[in-house]
Amino acid sequence: MDSLPLTEPVLLILLSLAGQPQHGYAILKDVERMSSGRVVLSTGTLYGALRRLLDDDWIERFEEEETPRGRQAYRLTPQGSRNLQLEIDRMKHLTRLATLRVATKES
Amino acid sequence: MLTVYRQLLRLYPAEYREVFGDEIMTVLAEARDQNANRKVIARLRILLRESAGLVTGALRERFNTFIEMQAELSIGRFTMRNGFRFPKSTIIFMALILAGVVMAIQRGEQIAVSLPHVNPQIGPIQPVHSTLLPPIVLFLLLFYLLGFVGWAIVFALRRSGIHRLADMSGQPK
Repeated sequence: MDSLPLTEPVLLILLSLAGQPQHGYAILKDVERMSSGRVVLSTGTLYGALRRLLDDDWIERFEEEETPRGRQAYRLTPQGSRNLQLEIDRMKHLTRLATLRVATKES
Repeated sequence: MLTVYRQLLRLYPAEYREVFGDEIMTVLAEARDQNANRKVIARLRILLRESAGLVTGALRERFNTFIEMQAELSIGRFTMRNGFRFPKSTIIFMALILAGVVMAIQRGEQIAVSLPHVNPQIGPIQPVHSTLLPPIVLFLLLFYLLGFVGWAIVFALRRSGIHRLADMSGQPK
């Protein structure tokens, strides 16, 4: 996986999995909802990103037990959670800095 | 719609399809069901978006497979990937074909011996396998030699390429 900063689709996928494990279609809808319809992933794009995240151990795949066909779902690994937190911290720092700079200029 | 997606999914590498193929089709089927009541234009837009996503995804996966293969070659030791494993069924088929050829030759010999030599204008039929063997061995040797020469050229090009790259990037050889 690319080092930080993450691309917006990847960040949204990780945020979608931060709350609870999700299966493919639920991730697609969640990403669309979180971005207010701005980021609409195609299935091919989603699974390309999921494969890279799986390869780098940021997420893991498991079979959902409650579904009749044993549908595959995804969840964050500890490494994925750690990297997501790092990205959030980075963005917080950037936002604080930006706010400070803009406020200084305005005053 | 799903037929189009299924065909496009064939563009992906087999290993990828094995892991994600069914799952992708399930998601696409779910998306189709959810959008079944939307207008034709909207559904067409979804079809185009999903198709483009599958094509670009397939290209990306093919490219990644190529890069991984290059990386395996560049470590100096060729590791055979699962996708290139020699299938056992091929060995069985090859053995069956060889057995068939040997049996056919033997049968041909029996027929040749059993035929009466009545027509003086046609010489006696002789089994030909003994005359076929040397050219076959010669051809095999020739192809092995060509293969070896080809491999040597590729190996030399690769070695010189690595050295040139090291020179360009300023790394020690």
